[in-house]
Amino acid sequence: MTATQRPTLLTLGIGLWVLLLASVVLAVAFGPADIAPSEVWQTIAHHLGLVADTPVSRLRDAIIWDLRVPRVLVAAGVGAGLALCGTVMQALTRNPLADPYLLGLSAGASLGAVVFLLAGAALLMPVGAFMGAAAAMAFTLLVTQVLGGATPARAILAGISVSALASAATSFLIFWSATGDSYREILSWLMGSLSGAVWSDAVTVLAATIFIGLPVLLSGRALDAFAFGDNAAASLGVDVPRLRWLLLGATALLTGVLVSIGGAIGFVGLIVPHVVRLATGSRHRVLLPVSMLLGAIFMIWSDTAARSLFAPRELPVGIITALIGAPIFILVLVRYRRMT
Amino acid sequence: MRTLPQLAGLTLAVLASNCAYAQTAYPLRIENCGFPLEIAAPPERVVTIKSTATEMLLALGLGDRIVGVGFQDGPVPPQWAVDDLPVLSEKLPSQEVVLEAEPDLIYGGWESNFAADGAGERATLQAFGVGSYVSPAACRSVKPAKLTFDGLFEEVDEIGKIFDAETAAQALIEQQKAELASVAADSRGLTAVWYSSGTKTPYVGAGNNSPAMIMEALGLENIMADQDEGWISASWEAVVDADPDVIILVDAAWNSAEQKKRLLAENPITSQLDAVMNQRYLVLPFPASEAGVRNVGAVVDMAAQLAALDFTR
Repeated sequence: MTATQRPTLLTLGIGLWVLLLASVVLAVAFGPADIAPSEVWQTIAHHLGLVADTPVSRLRDAIIWDLRVPRVLVAAGVGAGLALCGTVMQALTRNPLADPYLLGLSAGASLGAVVFLLAGAALLMPVGAFMGAAAAMAFTLLVTQVLGGATPARAILAGISVSALASAATSFLIFWSATGDSYREILSWLMGSLSGAVWSDAVTVLAATIFIGLPVLLSGRALDAFAFGDNAAASLGVDVPRLRWLLLGATALLTGVLVSIGGAIGFVGLIVPHVVRLATGSRHRVLLPVSMLLGAIFMIWSDTAARSLFAPRELPVGIITALIGAPIFILVLVRYRRMT
Repeated sequence: MRTLPQLAGLTLAVLASNCAYAQTAYPLRIENCGFPLEIAAPPERVVTIKSTATEMLLALGLGDRIVGVGFQDGPVPPQWAVDDLPVLSEKLPSQEVVLEAEPDLIYGGWESNFAADGAGERATLQAFGVGSYVSPAACRSVKPAKLTFDGLFEEVDEIGKIFDAETAAQALIEQQKAELASVAADSRGLTAVWYSSGTKTPYVGAGNNSPAMIMEALGLENIMADQDEGWISASWEAVVDADPDVIILVDAAWNSAEQKKRLLAENPITSQLDAVMNQRYLVLPFPASEAGVRNVGAVVDMAAQLAALDFTR
């Protein structure tokens, strides 16, 4: 890191934090209910104990404090978490297309959630999603072992087959059991949606992102070593197999939590690290935190669009992230093509 | 077997009208949901898909024409119930299953029932000599006009023509008009939301199909009236912001009214709605919630429920 780069990175970091906080503050002022931004902020200040009175009615207070605030926080947590998962997966597999989808974790989590939903245990859906992500992870590992041990290519091939299997099982279940209009619920859930997010979801998502994210952030240097290949990483003193599976396990856990609350939201984990790499390069001690910040900001505004653009209608946020993410991803692909 | 009130209705209608209704001249050509339909003779072997289609034929006393039913949403109400309707499939039957019953007409409650992975494309069926009819209110190819009871009775009339059963159709229409006229719309200016399904994203009745029509007949102001759709996926925020006086719950086997009540009471935000805190719910069975012959009965039933609700708190 040269001296001239330091202030740039510092500015970038501070700038993104300011942007994130500004996004949270501004996004809560958007929504189908017509509430003046000043009333929104005063209500939040009231709940934070900063002012004595709330200027709005009981229900509007609930709209602001029980619907909008937790939802914006969930969006920030999901965005940061997905970006983290994507960055780690891309480093570990040395594959720019890697993210939780590629290794089958999202598909597994979706399957687990749908099984619980159809079994009538909607409340246990998060447990189902986590079990599904873990099972898909274990299955991917098993297939990788059967193929002859962990290499990036084998892990990805195993992930693709597990993903296909889980997706087929999910489709089969939906096809088999959709009665009347219940399929709508499952489909909007599979497309990814943050509607219905409550405080407990916000706590879960933020806690998972922070507690799983922190140790991962600290392994930035080891992730850099992976970029030079397993042998090079080992020669740099990295316990390659142990760290690889530890990080993959952490990613599985985080993916399970995120999918259980937001559904299978695509493209965030895939594109955010690429966009960040354009600005910061690929050193993970910078790439990881910056990706998390950008992921959070991106998700907050995508979800704000999903819940307010067509009010009073609600759009699954996965549609928005795909609409924005897919063109960006194509640009990323074109850029990589020129570089290679 | 026809039940007494139905027979009485038929007799009444026949007595009331001195001139008999014109017999249908075949072949009958009608435009159904943008599809040119030609009926060569009164259909004798009909497959019905969705409860609304089945119940329409049963209400017209045409149950003996039904050779198979599929994708039924719930039990047939007692006044129209017949023994052993042949069930082709619990879900949407596939084309081969439908054709195996050798129908001359397939009557679908949703236009999407007629797809290659369902009962078959309408053009394909026509090439096989099988007619297809979509409940006009559920039409997607051509946007249907805002549904009214008169529009609904036009479907009854059209089915009457197709089956050369105009007398029964007119009798049913007169009977339903009389029932509807007996209901006085509520005049208290109450607002309502029609909660059909969904948990995180509620699927609610919007401004132009059976939910809007029924709420209007009840004298309830639909909070989603300005949405030009049948139903929409709405946000809870919009529902909470409107704080409706009454919540209409669709009672489906897969998502019962009791489940909905529990969900509304447990959710930290919906539990604060006036209607939830005071248990001001109207309930109707799912098959009566889609456009069909049960809508009038639903209005009568829900008007009684509405009258019994307590608004003093």
